Amino acid sequence: MTRIHWQSTVLATAAGAQALAPTAAWAHADAHPGGGFVTGFLHPISGLDHVVAMVAVGLWGAVLGPPALWVLPVAFPLVMAFGGLLGLLGVPIPGVEIGIAVSGLVMGLMVLFELRPPLWLAALIVSAFAVFHGHAHGAELPAGSNALHYSLAFVIATGLLHLVGILLGETRRWPGGRRFVQGAGGVVALVGLWFLEQGLT
Amino acid sequence: MIALLAHLTATGYGPWGDGMARLFLEPTELLLVIALVLLAVQSGGPSGDRLPLLLPLAWLLGGLIGLHLPAELLLAVTCTAVVAAAGLLVALGVRLRPRVLLPLIALLAAGFALVPGSALAGHPGALAALLGETVAIAVLTTLLTQLLAPPHPRWRAIAVRVGGSWITAGSLLMLGWLIRHPQ
Repeated sequence: MTRIHWQSTVLATAAGAQALAPTAAWAHADAHPGGGFVTGFLHPISGLDHVVAMVAVGLWGAVLGPPALWVLPVAFPLVMAFGGLLGLLGVPIPGVEIGIAVSGLVMGLMVLFELRPPLWLAALIVSAFAVFHGHAHGAELPAGSNALHYSLAFVIATGLLHLVGILLGETRRWPGGRRFVQGAGGVVALVGLWFLEQGLT
Repeated sequence: MIALLAHLTATGYGPWGDGMARLFLEPTELLLVIALVLLAVQSGGPSGDRLPLLLPLAWLLGGLIGLHLPAELLLAVTCTAVVAAAGLLVALGVRLRPRVLLPLIALLAAGFALVPGSALAGHPGALAALLGETVAIAVLTTLLTQLLAPPHPRWRAIAVRVGGSWITAGSLLMLGWLIRHPQ
């Protein structure tokens, strides 16, 4: 029965992805090549600063354990989209690039040193950084007729990056996994530090 | 085959097929259906069982009313905001009683269907297209409610909430985009 459910899930996911994928047959073809699902999906993956921070959210969630393990990936897209909304509406937020770099640095350090603040504080930290990430990407959302495809793909890609972080973080259960996760946090922190240095100079 | 109707994509299967395809090519409508299914499944009780019948019927009713409207309804911002709100209810893990949830679902589905109904109004094959979309909604709703029917493991409950979060996030970005680029 579980196998049937699993197969159904895979089929449903594939069907959903197929339905959302852009094709030339659409009546409302992209007015802008950046307006589609694929572009939105690739956007978060193409920026290293965003990638490491998203993976760090998952890693930190795994370090914190339940319920943070799923609260952070639920909260992040919501707040990130709110930041995106502000970016789209032209509401200025100072130091966005610095904030993104700091997010990688801070969350990387959290993972490296296995810091476990209370859930509300962890959610607050992650949410604060999510605003910067969302604002940066919201301001870049291209004009196109498939903006919802783009937005959805963007959010899904970000969520999948969280999932990658969670899966990497779950290796803590294995021998040597804890050190591996701490090392991954260190790498994230270094990347964040590099972007911070780039942003300040 | 040439698309017979405006607001439809030619699938080669006539207005019926074009109407079915519309659900999957209009993400706002698709997201609303998914969000309502997730909300019903999350709420538990009889809501999930009644949804496969209630949702398509409400959609059909709203669509039929929309077919008789004098002008096309342009409610993209409102519809997107409603989808965002529905997704938020899922993300927050809200559980509504059936006597609240079922009328709410019927109201939202019927209200939403006014838009495609009004868009198709006056076109030949509009009724067939509307019926096609309604059938697609019935099939999707049935499949999803069966797939997600409780009791389910903890990870699936979390996945439902994450799904709601993604729906809200995507809709919020879309909302900003709509405000920034008025139709």
